[in-house]
Amino acid sequence: MNTTSIDFESFVEWDNNPFILFSNNGKIIYLNNAAEILFGYVSKKELYDIAVSYAPQNFGYKTTTLTLSYDSFIFHAITVGYKNEEQISLRLYNTPRIKPVRKVETNTFSTTDINILLEANIALFKTTNTNTLKLLTDQDLPSFKIDQNNFSKLLRKTLNAFRASDSIDITLKLLIGQHVIIEDKREPIVQLSISANGRYSEADTEIEILASQCQIKPLLKEHAIKLEIPLIK
Amino acid sequence: METYFTTSEKVQHIIKSFNLTKTLFVSSIIIGEENTGKKSLARYLFPDAPLVSGEKQEEVMQALENYDELIITNFEKLSNQNNFDFSNKRIIATANYIGNSNIIDDLFGFIYSMPSLAERPDDVTYLKNLFVKEALSTLLIDDQDINLDGIPINLSKNSKSLKKDIYAHLLKFSMNQNEIEEVLYQYLLKHLDGNDGYREYLGIYERPLIEAGLKKFGSQLQLSQILGINRNTLRKKIYEHNID
Repeated sequence: MNTTSIDFESFVEWDNNPFILFSNNGKIIYLNNAAEILFGYVSKKELYDIAVSYAPQNFGYKTTTLTLSYDSFIFHAITVGYKNEEQISLRLYNTPRIKPVRKVETNTFSTTDINILLEANIALFKTTNTNTLKLLTDQDLPSFKIDQNNFSKLLRKTLNAFRASDSIDITLKLLIGQHVIIEDKREPIVQLSISANGRYSEADTEIEILASQCQIKPLLKEHAIKLEIPLIK
Repeated sequence: METYFTTSEKVQHIIKSFNLTKTLFVSSIIIGEENTGKKSLARYLFPDAPLVSGEKQEEVMQALENYDELIITNFEKLSNQNNFDFSNKRIIATANYIGNSNIIDDLFGFIYSMPSLAERPDDVTYLKNLFVKEALSTLLIDDQDINLDGIPINLSKNSKSLKKDIYAHLLKFSMNQNEIEEVLYQYLLKHLDGNDGYREYLGIYERPLIEAGLKKFGSQLQLSQILGINRNTLRKKIYEHNID
């Protein structure tokens, strides 16, 4: 079978697993769509270092099983390969996500302008706190379906985790190119990111529970809480 | 349309938050001391919403079945809070205190705490002027006759104690001799007892008489002349009643 006439690049381009081709000095020669998104969460240098560390001793390809996690991206293996001294490739394999077993109860979801809910929650936060708040939001986000009361509880608890922080940065934006599958439909993701110099973590479990009730994926970090909200139309 | 006066930043944030969520199906609760204006605020923000009191559990249950938008006052009085489901309803509750904080936390998206009047000095001034005006008109007092600076400010029970003390204070300026006698009569009718009543209750007349006299005329000598009693008698009375 003659395969040389087939253009393999588009298959790699649209592969859900990130693929990156580095030059021998760590510059990116090529990266596919999935890798482009991944670079929003990890530095070029870090991935290049990984590629070099796990490279086979001689020309060829080597797959190593390991766990890598960057934000919400979790990988269970990588393949590093090189055919010459100039280029080295790194492929990362996504760990399959466990599908939510609970059926989405969208009947309690109503179409909402998330900016209004966010602003109302900030006003509530300001009734008891005087921290400096910096808000960067996308006013053009379309209204989408959300459980308004539960989401308000989630926002209240999330903001409350920052009650003693000096300066709080709040960002609301659409994650371009990222989607989540809910009830077999591809939905865009809106990310609400709240970060500061530190935060309380005593309500983290409650935040996780409330988030899951709203079909939201929470990322709880030492200095930040990020909520990935499906934009359900 | 009713207005709601406040200069308190905290309350203004509450109003802003409510205005933003007015059309959403979220449940909110305002918690704060008695008579801080929680119910008035809820009424002002939601003038058309039905209102039920937590003191009447049955009515609350009935209203929750019938309406999507509802004001529940005295929420702390309800004993079946953990049976409620507020999803897809617009509930505005008020409570004097948090009963079970876990239930409150679980039920309400927005939990506001209403500052007491002591924390809102400008609002106190506003309310005081409002109550004084009302009291002067109700009690038919000409405000030229009295010094408004001496009006007491009692915030122990927020607006209620403020109002009560303003009325009680202004009432003193509206009474004529007959009414004062009537007050004394009613008081004595209730309290007179024992075996030394004359001496015991004489102080009710004597003390204000001497105190006002001293204030008005300054010296004991002059007062004794005004009262037409001996200076030594006056001094003895002052001593008896422990007057400075």
